[in-house]
Amino acid sequence: MNGKLTAELSLPLRRSHAGRQMLHNRAMMLGMSLLGIIVLLALFGPIIVPNDPLTVQMGDRLLSPSWQYPLGTDHLGRCIFTRLVIGAQLTLGISAIVIVTVIVLGVPLGLISGYIGGRFDSIIMRLVDGMGALPEFIFAIAFAGFLGPSLPNLIFAIVLVKWIGYARVVRSVALSEREKEYVLAAKVAGCSTWTILRRHLLPQMISPVVVLAALDIGKIIMIISMLSYLGLGAQPPTPEWGAMLNDGRPYFQSAPQLMIYPGLAIMAIVIACNLLGEGLREALDVRSR
Amino acid sequence: MLQLIKKRLIQLVFVLFILSLVIFILMKLAPGDPVLTLLHADEMSITQADEAALREELGFDQPVLVQYGKWMLGLIRLDLGTSYLKGRPVLDELLDKLPATIQLTASGLAVMVAIALPLGLIASRYPNRWPDHVSRILALVGASIPSFWMGLLLIYLFSLKLGWLPTSGKGSFAHMILPSITLGFAMAAVYARLLRSGLLDSLSQDYIKAARARGLAERRILMGHALRAALLPVITVFGVSFGNLLAGSVVIETLFAWPGLGSLALEAIFERDYPIIQGYVLATGLFVVVVNLLVDLSYSLLDPRIRLGKGASS
Amino acid sequence: MPQIMDKETTHMEKAQQENAASPLVAVEAPVLEVSQLQIFTRQEKQQRPLVHGVSFVIPRGETLALVGESGSGKSVTASAVLGLMSGSLGISNGEIRFRGDNVLDWPNKKRRGLRGREIGFIFQNYQESFTPFITVGKQMNETLRSHEKLTRRQAKVHALEWLEQVGLPAERVYSSYPFQLSGGQLQRAAIAGAMMLQPSLLIADEPTTALDVLSGEKVLDVLASLQKRTGCAVLLISHDLRHVVKRASTIAVMKDGHIVELDTAEHILYHCHHEYTQQLLNARPYIT
Repeated sequence: MNGKLTAELSLPLRRSHAGRQMLHNRAMMLGMSLLGIIVLLALFGPIIVPNDPLTVQMGDRLLSPSWQYPLGTDHLGRCIFTRLVIGAQLTLGISAIVIVTVIVLGVPLGLISGYIGGRFDSIIMRLVDGMGALPEFIFAIAFAGFLGPSLPNLIFAIVLVKWIGYARVVRSVALSEREKEYVLAAKVAGCSTWTILRRHLLPQMISPVVVLAALDIGKIIMIISMLSYLGLGAQPPTPEWGAMLNDGRPYFQSAPQLMIYPGLAIMAIVIACNLLGEGLREALDVRSR
Repeated sequence: MLQLIKKRLIQLVFVLFILSLVIFILMKLAPGDPVLTLLHADEMSITQADEAALREELGFDQPVLVQYGKWMLGLIRLDLGTSYLKGRPVLDELLDKLPATIQLTASGLAVMVAIALPLGLIASRYPNRWPDHVSRILALVGASIPSFWMGLLLIYLFSLKLGWLPTSGKGSFAHMILPSITLGFAMAAVYARLLRSGLLDSLSQDYIKAARARGLAERRILMGHALRAALLPVITVFGVSFGNLLAGSVVIETLFAWPGLGSLALEAIFERDYPIIQGYVLATGLFVVVVNLLVDLSYSLLDPRIRLGKGASS
Repeated sequence: MPQIMDKETTHMEKAQQENAASPLVAVEAPVLEVSQLQIFTRQEKQQRPLVHGVSFVIPRGETLALVGESGSGKSVTASAVLGLMSGSLGISNGEIRFRGDNVLDWPNKKRRGLRGREIGFIFQNYQESFTPFITVGKQMNETLRSHEKLTRRQAKVHALEWLEQVGLPAERVYSSYPFQLSGGQLQRAAIAGAMMLQPSLLIADEPTTALDVLSGEKVLDVLASLQKRTGCAVLLISHDLRHVVKRASTIAVMKDGHIVELDTAEHILYHCHHEYTQQLLNARPYIT
């Protein structure tokens, strides 16, 4: 009773603040549902798609949308819708692998570097400064150039650069947290370094890492599709969205559906990730770095 | 100040060292024997002796560390080797294509500023009103639209359907319009938002109130006082994302058949012209680090506290 | 600097002309006359009053001190006079007459011309009275040239003159960035900046609070001597009666948006009526 009363009393004061939160939540909800739909499509893709993504049927080239081909067919008679759905699987799968790898690499390195410091820290920082100055696309070009254009090489190049952001963020949090009283108290209480890292510092890293990851997924998807469009990533006939755009480029004038849908798919997924990331940043109150 | 430059120069050397190491390792890992490639390129009958001679000439019979040392010495003397494909020194090839890339990047940046500056100013003038919302949505779209796709849409609309502008190539001013817009738009959205938040931040500072109390015109306060403070975060992000700009220029050069460094590199990748790839990667790395150095210098230009050694920046 | 030097006479002429036009106005109008000023703050579409009908008058050459604790509405009143209230505040009633004209009726642009030119302002936070990344001299120059048709060089000569008047090493301060000066120096430079156009009114919002005692006294001395020289009216805002009793001719004590007592400094000191004023006086550690 009493609690309800105070809640009611404080309501009008909070309204504008709540309104802003709602707006952000709405954007975040939109991003989340969009991403959810894409993830569901990717998960159940093989069940729902009407056709095979790779079967070439020269008789069905460049068809308009129909019941059999919901978005029409490409220049080799393949179902565009099917290829998009399977492409979603590929895109999401790759970015998930990349994100997990960079977190597994970057978080422990940053944690140890920040908490323990010393020579290990200075080596890591040198590396972070050196590598961090270079964009991933340079490595992507170098890898594709020397080892040949392929999806695994592209993934390797992205991982090589992306772990740095995580190491950097985690290190700076660890640096500021390790001087705080609760860490000192844990130390005095006889917790081992490992326990302090795992039980006390690691939880502090979750919010910034989650926000960074959400925003990074969009960037990773973008760079994969971009380099695949250039022919440096996924190779035809893989139904990767960027590669699909590259593949169908000569037919754009007569069959714009080859260009519209893969691009829209990339944009939708990147918008979803950006909305989610920004929303999370707001909600978890993580400063942008 | 000098300290800062020194630190950056050390970083520059270190970055180039890492990059050279990566390239060297990749070269060694690269499939196919460059000696055979070279010989085949000449389309002569190859004898064992020819091959051995060339191996010796290229120093491939020596230990790896010696090879690396020699290669590094070459790099320091700006000897980037010779293009397999064209038989010209790599440096000449790069210098030939550099102006086109600079032209594209510069005009892309001009488009970026032309969109971002007014958009950011308007959004900061009417925070959380409709101009701000429009700029927010534009920023989301700009940050999420793949630049190559946007380029394709622009080509489709303005070149193929309307026939107003050329689809590709370099030459007249009309050739520059679509590539510049494609390159500039995606960046503009992000910078407009940065500018907005920077301006809102600096406009709420007490020194702005003081400037108003002195009776300065609002325009003057905005352009002379608030904007300058708001530029710091913008420039920081510019330094960090300059690499993305170069990446974008590769895509756009390819898309519009613009004969710059990016097109050169891409062609080299498909033709396995390793010296060119190596030269391109090193040159790009150098650009990125140099731009970051310039960014640091421009900080101190904008904020005398950094220049005059009072470290704090607000 | 003929434009500036002649200002005094032009004022006189203007006043005479006005007098001639309306013979009923026998004496010069006071520099500032605030009457029944009500200020409210907007919160959740509700208006909450902050200042309830404040009135006071400052004639030429006089100093009125507005004293009260923080939140009493004194700084808000000063911002209202200047025309620089934050967006969430509004004026619901009352008049602010500047040399006889109700400035609340003026368009924004006309009010801007008043700021800096006719009304000088000195802030408590001297760190922020100049933009941190522009030299003090450049900003003084900018201010002068915003109000007077001067060349850069003329403006510089004028600014240097005023920096000297406040007892600063003029050339050095002119070319310094704000962070290169001490608090006292910066506040005196701010005074030079506020006084160099010889405004009719100077508003000083807690000008010494952020300074140590000695620098504070020096700043007030400089202020007093410049006031004597230019004959401007001063609205001195303070939370501390101790400073004010010595410096002001009239004192208005503010509490919760009301002026609870308004009298000459002498009367306030020896015959104050309101118990709040009494409290403030008793809070003083000593009487000089």
